[in-house]
Amino acid sequence: MYRTTALVSLLALVLLVPGAALAVNTGSADFTNYVSAGDSLTAGFMSGSLIDTSQLHDYPVIIATQAGVSDFEQPLVSPPGIPAILHLVGLFPTVIVPEPGQGQPENLNLPRLYNNLAVPGETAGTMITVKSDVPSTGKPGLHDLILRGFGTQLEEVIGAKPTFVSLWIGNNDALGAATSGNVALLTPLPVFTQEYQTIVGAIASMTGAKMVIANIPDVTSIPFVTTIPPFLVDPTTNQPVIFNGNLVPLIGPKGLLGPGDHVLLSAGPDLNKGLGIPRPLGTGLPLPASDVLLAADAATIDNQVAAFNVVIQATAQQVGAAFVDANALLKELATTGIQVGGIPFNASFLTGGVFAYDGVHPTHFGYAFLANAFIDAINQKFGAAIPPANLSPAIFGEAIGGPLGSASSLESSTASLSSATLPIVWTRYLFTAEAMRNLESVLVTPTSGSGGHHRRPH
Amino acid sequence: MRRRGALSWKPWGVMALGAMAIAPATPVFAAGFSVFEQSAKATGMADAVTAQSDDPSTIFYNPGGMAFFERAAGSAGATYITETRAHFTGANPFPGDGVTASEKKLEVFPPHLYWVQPITPQFQVGLGIETPFGLQTQWNNPDTFPGRYLSTLAAIKDFDINPSISWRVVPELGIGAGFIIRKSEVALERDVPAQDPFTFTTVNAAKVKLKSNYDTGYGFDVGFLHKPTPWLSWGASYRSQINVNYSGEAVLFPRSSGDPVFDTILAHSLPYNTSIGAKTEIKFPAQASLGFAFKVMPDVTFEVDGNWFGWKHFDTVPLDFPSGQLPSSTIIERWKDSYAVRGGLNWAATPAWQLRLGYVFDQSPQPEQTVNPLLPDANRNGVTAGIGFRGHPVDLDLGVMYLFFADRTRTTTFNGDQLGDFFGTYSTRALLVSLTVGFHR
Repeated sequence: MYRTTALVSLLALVLLVPGAALAVNTGSADFTNYVSAGDSLTAGFMSGSLIDTSQLHDYPVIIATQAGVSDFEQPLVSPPGIPAILHLVGLFPTVIVPEPGQGQPENLNLPRLYNNLAVPGETAGTMITVKSDVPSTGKPGLHDLILRGFGTQLEEVIGAKPTFVSLWIGNNDALGAATSGNVALLTPLPVFTQEYQTIVGAIASMTGAKMVIANIPDVTSIPFVTTIPPFLVDPTTNQPVIFNGNLVPLIGPKGLLGPGDHVLLSAGPDLNKGLGIPRPLGTGLPLPASDVLLAADAATIDNQVAAFNVVIQATAQQVGAAFVDANALLKELATTGIQVGGIPFNASFLTGGVFAYDGVHPTHFGYAFLANAFIDAINQKFGAAIPPANLSPAIFGEAIGGPLGSASSLESSTASLSSATLPIVWTRYLFTAEAMRNLESVLVTPTSGSGGHHRRPH
Repeated sequence: MRRRGALSWKPWGVMALGAMAIAPATPVFAAGFSVFEQSAKATGMADAVTAQSDDPSTIFYNPGGMAFFERAAGSAGATYITETRAHFTGANPFPGDGVTASEKKLEVFPPHLYWVQPITPQFQVGLGIETPFGLQTQWNNPDTFPGRYLSTLAAIKDFDINPSISWRVVPELGIGAGFIIRKSEVALERDVPAQDPFTFTTVNAAKVKLKSNYDTGYGFDVGFLHKPTPWLSWGASYRSQINVNYSGEAVLFPRSSGDPVFDTILAHSLPYNTSIGAKTEIKFPAQASLGFAFKVMPDVTFEVDGNWFGWKHFDTVPLDFPSGQLPSSTIIERWKDSYAVRGGLNWAATPAWQLRLGYVFDQSPQPEQTVNPLLPDANRNGVTAGIGFRGHPVDLDLGVMYLFFADRTRTTTFNGDQLGDFFGTYSTRALLVSLTVGFHR
């Protein structure tokens, strides 16, 4: 089923490459050898998984297709992906589980470097230093699958002799802090600055490639952080519980949570056990620190992201790169939302249409929309006229299917209205224990204490 | 005389009610959603008639022309409007290259009725019932049309009751003025989207139909017609901006998914099948015309006109739902004032028969950024021809207009436009056939 879906997607992609592909005006940018570098967002990670149904529609492949590139190669992984992709079992309660099994690499024997070299979980630091996951975890991981022992990501980007590079790195220098409520995981600014300038400087000076560079989104605006309110909600009515005219705050590691505090999506199982919920409705015991992002910590993270972004934009400017303001894009999504042809999209979990089941990574629509933002930036900077990608297949699922193919919609065709039309508040996000292990493996677990910025991939 | 005049109002009152019932939704046939074809003689001359006074439709085109009526005269007719092409081709990013759609074939008959009654040799009264605005954009296959979340049907129905008076100040100069009671109704239909969290695809969740009452706005018109020499006349007229505030109701109809779970969620979430109060406002533009008519030969009149339409006040269309059951929104339009130039020729080939030709260029007031399935407008060139029979006491006129719309392509969106991108090219051709029966004493 998945193979069929992937094949159909691939065929659709091939058919979508216009006959006049060679005639695409890329301006002063040369797409003869386009290489994309970055982390999970660039790798096409979706719903906790590196999986071909998403990789075949990631933003680098969309840019490549629109720019007339026909041999853009990626480290494809068969369904159900590595780790196995999450899927939604039901909405009441909201249960999210991984597919059974694990995917296999499909393009491991490509006799050259991949065009998309992005490694999920990569930070600016690991991009420079990590060739393999074996030294840190004792077993091969996504670095091994993608880099195949030929070098670090940075070394391979340079080794590929690219004529054009897209670079979106630094997200994991801030994200882990947000998804585990631990600001100690933020990469220190001087370290980040030095690493980032090393990366961009090396690519620019050693390849001469023109570049497009994106900055770091506001990681405290993602559904993983914003979905669960810091007060008690009655699961039967979906309305906040009011006691003596007041909301009932949940209990965090440092006492009652305030209005600016965030309960992370990963807190679902603990809440279900009664943690964080006052007696007699719950246990009266606090949520663990890893389930909560306190308001002060969120502000610390936002400030650090802003500081990283100053570095990123200045560095992009120094090398004459096109610049994508991903931070502004996510802010727009999280505040006003965006509209396409009268269809509202926003940063809400499950109902917003932009973020998939892990609450961090985009849906097909999210990736296609990002791709068009990159194309806009390239066109503006390099005088190119690369046509924007068609969003319809990602919006309506034509020739793509959902993240799980069309089978899931038959399984249970429950749907919700967009939040612009009505606010449905889901109260119980139950990632199963298996799903949580899966999520933790890609989101929140720092690796063997190697400073603030070496973490497990996501 | 006075009694006759007084009596003659009664049937007009009845006819006004009749017009209310039949006033059709009409499409965009002068630029924007103005409909300038308000008599068959005018249609045959591309509506270049501001400086002429031999047809009761002068009540609409220039009330100053009424001053030259020495006998009572009236006319009644309608314009058949149809589109011979109304086609949309999509572009990336949305709805995408290769998407095509077409509008439902339009067939409407906006009517016109006029009566001019001299009271004294210097003073005349008149009544016009006109349909100077109208819109109907209805898309085929509304359940799959990619613009269905913007609009599957947009209609503005409108007619004016236009009592007028005129004064022949001196034999060469007439002035006139009228009061305009505008009755109008709007209807909008579209689908409501939802994000299916199982597939992360957009699905239809409901169809919303909004219909207003026949609400009323008030305005005026003025004009003068000057005939300084036997071979030249010139005139100008002005019709004021009229704002109509509409109230009405919106109803959400469920879209069956075939899945009881889905239907249950929607039924809990949406106020299906209930009347939700709605309010909106349309600012119909002022329009001004200046025309010069030349008797180039004893039997041949040539007129050239310019029109101005004050569309810049058509800036936004609010859609308010005071109960909060649906989110209020604002449709950004940001139109600009627009102009039209017209030339028309009338040849009185025999005392009984007249032949007419005309040409019009009509500029669209709509910026590219707001061209969308609600109202895709474009510049247009029109060619016209007409024939008239002058009998006693009955006149007959037939006018035909063919409009070539410039292809209208949209590739940009205003910042903050709540509807978002909907890119592509609209291609339209239209045919108008006006028939008017006149009566004069």
